[in-house]
Amino acid sequence: MKRKMNRRTFLKVSAVAGATTAVSGFPTFLHAQAPEIKIGSIQPVTGVISDIGISMRRGNQLAVDNINAQGGIKSMGGAKLKLLLADTEAKEEVARSEAERLIKEGAVCLVGPFLSGNAMTIATLCEQRGVPFVMDVAAADDITRKGFKYTFRCFAISTNFANNMLLYMSQLMKDKNISKIKGVVTNTGDLFGRVQGATFLKFIKEKNFPIEVLGHIEYPLGIQDLSAEVSKIKSLKPDVLFPVARPGDAKLMIRELYKQRVGLQGIISPGSPGWYEPEFIRDMKALSDYVMDNVPWYNPVGKMYKQVNAEFAKKYPGKYIDTNSGYAYLAVMVIADALERAKSAKPENIVAALKKTYFKQDLMVGGAVTFDQRGDNVNADSAMVQIFEGSIKVVLPQKAAEAKYVYPMPKQLWERGM
Amino acid sequence: MNLDLLFQLAVSGFLLGGVYSLIALGLSLIFGVMRVINFAHGEMMVWGMYVAYTILLWTGVDPFFSFLVSAVILFFIGYLLQWTVVNRIIDSPEAMQVLPLVGMAMVFENSARIIWGPDYISPQSRFALSSLSLGSLMIDIPRLFAFSLAIIITLIVLLFLKKTDTGKSIRAAADNRTGALLVGTDVNKVYAICFGIGTACVGAAGGLLVPLMPLSPHIGAPFTLVSFIIVILGGMGSLTGALVGGLIIGVAESIGPEVITNIFRGIGLDLEFPHTMKQVVSFFILIIIMILRPKGLLGGKRG
Repeated sequence: MKRKMNRRTFLKVSAVAGATTAVSGFPTFLHAQAPEIKIGSIQPVTGVISDIGISMRRGNQLAVDNINAQGGIKSMGGAKLKLLLADTEAKEEVARSEAERLIKEGAVCLVGPFLSGNAMTIATLCEQRGVPFVMDVAAADDITRKGFKYTFRCFAISTNFANNMLLYMSQLMKDKNISKIKGVVTNTGDLFGRVQGATFLKFIKEKNFPIEVLGHIEYPLGIQDLSAEVSKIKSLKPDVLFPVARPGDAKLMIRELYKQRVGLQGIISPGSPGWYEPEFIRDMKALSDYVMDNVPWYNPVGKMYKQVNAEFAKKYPGKYIDTNSGYAYLAVMVIADALERAKSAKPENIVAALKKTYFKQDLMVGGAVTFDQRGDNVNADSAMVQIFEGSIKVVLPQKAAEAKYVYPMPKQLWERGM
Repeated sequence: MNLDLLFQLAVSGFLLGGVYSLIALGLSLIFGVMRVINFAHGEMMVWGMYVAYTILLWTGVDPFFSFLVSAVILFFIGYLLQWTVVNRIIDSPEAMQVLPLVGMAMVFENSARIIWGPDYISPQSRFALSSLSLGSLMIDIPRLFAFSLAIIITLIVLLFLKKTDTGKSIRAAADNRTGALLVGTDVNKVYAICFGIGTACVGAAGGLLVPLMPLSPHIGAPFTLVSFIIVILGGMGSLTGALVGGLIIGVAESIGPEVITNIFRGIGLDLEFPHTMKQVVSFFILIIIMILRPKGLLGGKRG
């Protein structure tokens, strides 16, 4: 059925068109609009680690919003950034297909993901497709050991964590006059957990560090019952527990330690999430006190940190910038800085610019972001943090310390009146 | 071999096994009657957990009481699900039955994510942190409560099926659908009630688990898998089989790694059986039982 346009409909249509153009003011005709630059944010937003995935997507998005609010990429005529969103579901195969989709949809650079295993498949794909990939949080050393040319990492690597951990532990043992610590190491069974646990163990062994490892327990990511593992820890009678965990199992672990009355002098993570998220402190209350964690933490005195954290907390009540959301923010800023200098969205220009990155920041501890030959951020650093009555304080290194660390724990978990 | 440790592991595994039994009971009931595998089972358990958690948050009522509300709400969800989705696929080939229920699993998981958010929640409930010490043995009080209540519920459901009229018509419909139809049973209604009871069991189990484990929308899938193992192990459709199977799997997963490590040591291998491979133990037991008794431990009584 064909519709004829008569005089009346013509008048109506032209009236509507006229009104629309009058309101919108011919934006596309009068001045050429700056092109939009698409960046792909790929995070595990659903699946076993969706809490952190969502927090990181928010970090990515906040950075994009801030850059756009400040006039976009100025060297490219104020081009606005657009964040394309993708979800790895914490699965490697999905990470790959989602990254593929982002590239097809025109992302000039990918940023993400929490989870080293996911990062590995994305890095491989980006290498094949020639698309720059800036990892915000993913610590396993191996990802940048394959000679990839398009992959960069803002986060600290496992070797870095282990190095700092031993540095802080030797400081602690010197201060407290301890000659030997008996410990148990636990880690989750995914790529990050394994590498993080194994690197720590390897460093203790290679450097002949005075930590006697009584046991090493590995359990699956997303485990819902840790009673067997904690019974095992109890039977080994360690002084210190060195857990590499994730939010769910960290809570489970603390509760089991409490219920099974496992006496410990300290719970000191060699570097893992789980111990510093707002939900951990909210739910564990006094039980979270004195837990120590060696993490690439935010810089508590940084101007950039204060500003970003205020914005983040305002947008998402009850949340704050932590390791993950902080690096998620930082990685997008690094990409924007590279785009600014590259003056182009071509992959080879972005990579060339990323290689020359020297991005000054005081959002996270450590210095300016700058990449070495492998693409690792040489200035990424970690600090030892400890929880005191629900607030997280940097305790080591001493030059950055906000508080003096407490060791051994003055009260065992079950003596805290819960 | 450290006997204290082994005993401790066996006890905590046994207690958790009781809750596994209750979860598997629901799956087994639904399968036994409708020959449909509820792939959304674990996700529905998570809904049961969230219901109990929400009640705790709003009214302060402990999950050890509010699990009843979870059961009731899940009964209605199950009833509706049977009425709207499962009824349409009941005569379809198995492959076609799988998809709608896997789809429902995704719907349940992600709607929970939208409603309650993605974060892990470990609510403070009254008994969440209490434990009892008997010599070197520590007994986890919430685990003990969950176990006792799960076993009581299981027995009530078994009695209900044996003694009441509705229970009898459920069993009749399970035994011979056409026969039940011929003698005037409203089979569709019976199925819906049965699906409701199955999901009510898993809802109650979810409520009981709130003090035991942190809840997050995605934690359901492993429970679907474990209850599936239990049901096959105990015998498809056999309710006492689900009870026994749950206890076996609970104990096996708990003591498995330690026992196997000790066996390794015994034969002179310096190997540690990793806890990441716990499920290997369950599947191993499953395979052995499948070889010895292909219909499951207590299955196969019915032709």
